Amino acid sequence: MLRFIGKRLWDGGLTLAALVTLTFFVMRLAPGGPFSRSRKISPEVLANIQAAFHLDEPVWKQFARYVWGLLHLDLGPSTRFRDYSVSDLILSGLPYSLTIGFWAVVVASLVGVSLGIIGALRRNQPADYLAGLIGVVGIAVPIFVIGPLCQLVFGLKLGWLPVGGSGQGWRSLVLPVLVLSLPNIAYISRLTRSSMIETLRENYVRTARAKGLGGGRVLRVHVLRGALLPVVAYLGPATAAIITGSILIETVFAVPGIGRHFVDAALNRDYPLVMGITLLYGALLIFFNIGTDLLRGWMDPRLRHGR
Amino acid sequence: MIGKASRIARWLAGAATALALAAGPGMADDVLDRGVGSEWASLDPQVNFDAAAGWIQSDAYEGLVTYNSKGEVIPGAAESWEMSDDGKTYTFHLREGLKWSNGDPLVAQDFVNSALRTLNPETASEKGYYFYSVIQVKGAKALADGETKDPATFGITAPDPMTVVVEMLNPAPHMLDLMGAFQLAPLHSPSFAANGAAGFIDPAKVVSNGAYVIKEVVPQSHVLLERNPNYWDAANVHIPFVKYHVTEDVATELKRFRAGEIDITYDIPLNQIEALKAEMPDQVHISPSTEVVYYDFNLTKEPFKNPDLRRALSLAIDREVLEGKIVKGEAIPTFSFAGGFDPTYAGPQIAEASMTQAEREALAKELYAKAGYGPDNPLKINIVSISSEDAIRRAQGVALMWKKVLGVQAVNDAQERKAWLDSFYAGTWDVFADDLVGDFAGAETFLAYLRPSADAGYNWVKPEYDAAMDKAAQMPDKASRNAALAEAEKLLLDDYIFAPLAIIPTRHLISPQVKGFESSVAGYNNSQFLTLE
Repeated sequence: MLRFIGKRLWDGGLTLAALVTLTFFVMRLAPGGPFSRSRKISPEVLANIQAAFHLDEPVWKQFARYVWGLLHLDLGPSTRFRDYSVSDLILSGLPYSLTIGFWAVVVASLVGVSLGIIGALRRNQPADYLAGLIGVVGIAVPIFVIGPLCQLVFGLKLGWLPVGGSGQGWRSLVLPVLVLSLPNIAYISRLTRSSMIETLRENYVRTARAKGLGGGRVLRVHVLRGALLPVVAYLGPATAAIITGSILIETVFAVPGIGRHFVDAALNRDYPLVMGITLLYGALLIFFNIGTDLLRGWMDPRLRHGR
Repeated sequence: MIGKASRIARWLAGAATALALAAGPGMADDVLDRGVGSEWASLDPQVNFDAAAGWIQSDAYEGLVTYNSKGEVIPGAAESWEMSDDGKTYTFHLREGLKWSNGDPLVAQDFVNSALRTLNPETASEKGYYFYSVIQVKGAKALADGETKDPATFGITAPDPMTVVVEMLNPAPHMLDLMGAFQLAPLHSPSFAANGAAGFIDPAKVVSNGAYVIKEVVPQSHVLLERNPNYWDAANVHIPFVKYHVTEDVATELKRFRAGEIDITYDIPLNQIEALKAEMPDQVHISPSTEVVYYDFNLTKEPFKNPDLRRALSLAIDREVLEGKIVKGEAIPTFSFAGGFDPTYAGPQIAEASMTQAEREALAKELYAKAGYGPDNPLKINIVSISSEDAIRRAQGVALMWKKVLGVQAVNDAQERKAWLDSFYAGTWDVFADDLVGDFAGAETFLAYLRPSADAGYNWVKPEYDAAMDKAAQMPDKASRNAALAEAEKLLLDDYIFAPLAIIPTRHLISPQVKGFESSVAGYNNSQFLTLE
């Protein structure tokens, strides 16, 4: 077990190293730079500013400087937001993205799995069709349509919830969480449903039934455990994606999370901020994938003994 | 503490509204909510170069002068000033008993220290440009270039605690436009020495001298300001709190305005302007700014070396239709480059401005044919523009008109802002959708931008223009200076090195609760001059 985790962590580290290297150099291929000349700034002054951020050095040296900083947990200064270091910005934005993401994952898992179970057990009945409809809508209607629609209905027409911002506590969370969880509810319910249907036909379920176990117990202990494996596999990377902030959600609902920083940073060629957020995203993805693997190993004996 | 209590009060008020479902937008409160668009680049007054962040800065700090709600220069920290006979030296006299927000006395040296810090290469600020380029303060260039660090060489000095003297190399009647909080906010040296630049964003440490002080800063969310009791005119500051919200998405900003969450928006969505003007005419506020859009022709490329062709392309654009029917952003069509928004400057227009569009198009066709182009040999053009909605609409509109009138085959290459900036100097364009925001509400900021004429980018070599600008630069008073500038602009427009298109407006939605908001070309609308009903 420890060896397994150690190996995965080592692999993850290598992946991150590759990610850092690639992002660093690819980012610099984009035209423009953090201090593109926009005014009659004297060339001397522009050179001074470039030098203050070490942008005058050869790229390999900048890279070495960045890696050296990383090893000291220093993500560098932001060039777009001059008042902040990259760590400041991430620490300021992450709680918002985490809170919304966490609740969205919770809502999506609970609702999605429930809908999926109902669909599988009441196959081709009205409840199944309803769950299916929610699924199709959730997947097909993009966030930038459903988001403004929710704002119109709940914010402007009914006046129940704020349209955007983060100033009103939990009330500010409701709409972003709802809209962010919707497509995931859809995926999870479809996944659960199909894998449930498949599992219900498995031999070990039939065996359990033949042993004379009650329907509820078979469902909880045998079917669900098997059926949720693909859902768990989906949730790992999805959680990383959700909690690191949805750019669209954060833009539409004016949430000060890190998703928006990512776009802003890229557009403004804020190299250190792009690097920082990419790295964070990569690390979370790896972390959740490892977590998922462990969870699946615990749930599915075949995985544990197969390898 | 008060800030927190107010937040709780607002939260409760919000909850009460929700429960009562009485969603009347903008209930009476003591917070003015303003949109700032994208997040401020910096709250460091010597570094921030961003106009929207300049609003926050102008509320929190006060320069030697300030600007009233119409954008006119009025006394700020200095209650009076005088100009020397040669127009090169200004002496400012500070008000008695000025204080910083922490109670420390404000002295003349605080202004000198601010300018010195702005110019210091270690600050890595682009803003020194105001002091070595827009006006030429003695010694500013050498300090900015790092040739010297000696403050004794600098032309901004404080002979005594109540007096600031600014010595310039050339007379500059517009210098008062650069003595406001945005360009020259004073620096509280003890707190800067203790906290460095981090102190500017830390509400516990920030010390300012404006009508407001910074109470809360949340990146990507908002800056909350509270009335500064130590401000000299605090009795006339009516709104207790001002909250600047990041409103990156203009559609969301509109919805938040409708829900009463924002009182003054940063912008209005282009496709909603007409509907909003019909629906709430009193709340739509559109007025000219100092931003001008003009299309540069690449003078280093063969076809555009021919002035007739450049003229033809400029004349073939129907500016009224372009702005009114295609872009629909309420921009004002223009045939001149500089100062169309400045009523004191009677500048020239391109010669054909008095013709009808039909006459212009006929002339354009003639000139196009004369330049050797026609249906069998059409001119091919790429237009490099920014990838914003209005810029793309404008470029496509121009391309369409060139196609329709002349048969030119033009394509729009829309780029991200940073790439667009670099493209300009790289010269990888036939036509560059250029855009300039003035440093103050006058013609000179535009005309000075083209000087020296041979500068990279425009690549227009015109010694006569440089001479005309040198002549204007010696005029100490506004009237004769404007006349000399108009002569220079005539030379510029006669060469058709670009096609001036439109003056971009500022667009705001303003809640009926807000009183006192007026048009200010330079974009200053300090919260201290507003009231909230």
